[in-house]
Amino acid sequence: MDAETLDLARLQFAITSGAHFLFVALTLGLAVVVAAVQTRATASGSDAHWRMTRFWGQLYVINYGMGIVTGLVMEFQFGLSWSGLTTVAGDVFGAPLAMEALVAFFIESTFLGLWIFGWGRINRWVHLALLWVVALTAYASAYWVIAANGWLQNPVGAERRGDRMVLVDRAALLANPDALIALAHVAGAGLLAGGLFVAGVSAYHLRRRGADEEVFRRSLRTGLIVAAPAALFTVGVGFNQFRVVAGHLPMKYAVSRGDTAERERLQAELAARFGPGDYSPPDWIDIPAALMINLGTVLLVLTAVNLALAYRTRAGAVTRFCRRLLTWSIVLPFVAAVAGWVFREVGRQPWAINQVLLTEDALSPSVSAGSMRLTLIAFTALFAALIALDAWLLARYARRGPEGATLGVPPVPDEEPEPVPQF
Amino acid sequence: MDILAIGLLAVAAVGYFVLAGTDLGAGMALFFLGRDARERRLVIAAFAPFFLGNEIWLILTAGLLIGLLNGLEEALFGALYESIAVLLVGWVVRDAGLWLRGRLGAPLWQLFWDGAITAGSWTVTGAWGWAVGTVLLYRLDPPGSLFPLIGVAATWVLFGLHGLAFAVLRLRGAPYERARTVAGPSGERVTFALTSIGMAVIPLVVGARLPLRESVTESASFVAVTTAVLLPVLVAAQAWVWWLFRHRVTAPTYL
Repeated sequence: MDAETLDLARLQFAITSGAHFLFVALTLGLAVVVAAVQTRATASGSDAHWRMTRFWGQLYVINYGMGIVTGLVMEFQFGLSWSGLTTVAGDVFGAPLAMEALVAFFIESTFLGLWIFGWGRINRWVHLALLWVVALTAYASAYWVIAANGWLQNPVGAERRGDRMVLVDRAALLANPDALIALAHVAGAGLLAGGLFVAGVSAYHLRRRGADEEVFRRSLRTGLIVAAPAALFTVGVGFNQFRVVAGHLPMKYAVSRGDTAERERLQAELAARFGPGDYSPPDWIDIPAALMINLGTVLLVLTAVNLALAYRTRAGAVTRFCRRLLTWSIVLPFVAAVAGWVFREVGRQPWAINQVLLTEDALSPSVSAGSMRLTLIAFTALFAALIALDAWLLARYARRGPEGATLGVPPVPDEEPEPVPQF
Repeated sequence: MDILAIGLLAVAAVGYFVLAGTDLGAGMALFFLGRDARERRLVIAAFAPFFLGNEIWLILTAGLLIGLLNGLEEALFGALYESIAVLLVGWVVRDAGLWLRGRLGAPLWQLFWDGAITAGSWTVTGAWGWAVGTVLLYRLDPPGSLFPLIGVAATWVLFGLHGLAFAVLRLRGAPYERARTVAGPSGERVTFALTSIGMAVIPLVVGARLPLRESVTESASFVAVTTAVLLPVLVAAQAWVWWLFRHRVTAPTYL
């Protein structure tokens, strides 16, 4: 294997997972908001609540579709580029990925289809329950994926036999502290992204004094009630995460703090254990870390201030200015999330599995640089187009307001109705 | 445990080829069945409620491959890198088309994504032909020859017929008549049953050429038993979808 293929494979993985996570973050947050709104609509039967459900549900579905499409490529990345990972640790690492497909995504996909296409054809309480299952399985999906990722950071519950890792303690794998705290951080970030999206779009409409003020007044509060606590939670968990991660990735901690003495001590220790080599991540990992932390703080303040202002009936200049900021800030949680993932994944380098397998040894041995470059170009072009289309469609549908939602609108029969059972 | 692991993998793979074969085949025939945008939207409506639940069987297959037979996963991806990459590109383009097509009313937008759905469907099924042909001819040690491309024509025919047989059961009016000219000489359900068997044979003959028993993961039992226990639930959930949308389509859906 050569250095060029390795770089291309790493870039490909970074772009695939980064692109996928942009969609996932919004999906995680919006799913809960839409489910909560639909619960109120189902219970109250109020027309405003149903308009809210269809409007936010429409945006959720647009984003969800793009998320699935990028997720497909994600699952195949391990086989295509990183077969060394499965050679050494497939026994351990494969289980959570298989469970993700089995107990989370399978039900999520099937029920989401039922929710979209069964609108008006299923009992409304059952229809509501479907969405809650979709929302819960989205978080279950996140748990399994992060359990797999957390094991790469902190490979617990397994031991080396020959040149392979074997699972010896399943409970340790499932309750990996690195994974659990990362899940909390990611779930919080998703809720922040989704809540802020809802609040920011609502603020736009309230500023414009467009139609359906009731929908957006309620939505603004709902979005902020989700986003402000989520921001506090995400930031709080994030600071605690440093302590947890420092335990098993001390080198990452030392480099991100610029602690040169500690870094040299660890380098000597790791070189003594694993042979000569550079065992520290790149120096620049403190940049994405700082970006994430600063954005988290900004968002915490912004959402808290807006939450305090959300119950004012008359919006003065200050309120209007804060709401304008809210709309502009929709993009910030996504920047923070990608920065966070860069910090997490690059910070683990040079390891694919911390202190078990080097990234360069995880690369698929048979793939040439040419093939890797070709797939990198193809996937990158596709993802760039999908991100652009998603953002553009979300903005378009968000601007059009509840009238523009086509989700949950009864279809107009084409010819004579009279359905005939076929199966 | 070996038998259970291999059996589950077979169920997932057969599930994918039989179920997703319907929407991939119908997608290939989109412009044949639907001559204008309205008709094409009806053809899409014929498989719209199912396609998400259909493709998930391949995600499950890949998941089980990683969780139960990871030695094989590695060899398979190494041997089939190019065809899998093509498959993924086609899959992304096709699904993007399905999700995006109905979001704008502009005729050019819809025509573009109809084209993407069709091209993507041909790409995915062609990539399957390439992959299947490679395994059947060379197992896991392909010399990089072009012979496996024979498989492309074969899967195109199989997927196409399966999609049309499905369309015959789901559509009405002119698109139904067009599907019937190709796929309807015998009874409609008999044809669909036959094409389904044809689709199911594809993963089974591929499996017969692969070193399955040698590849089962040491600690496969956890994933295998969980899968075996949950599979009836997953099948029941999907059966509900098929039951709910069993009527012939009369109107466009969300897509």
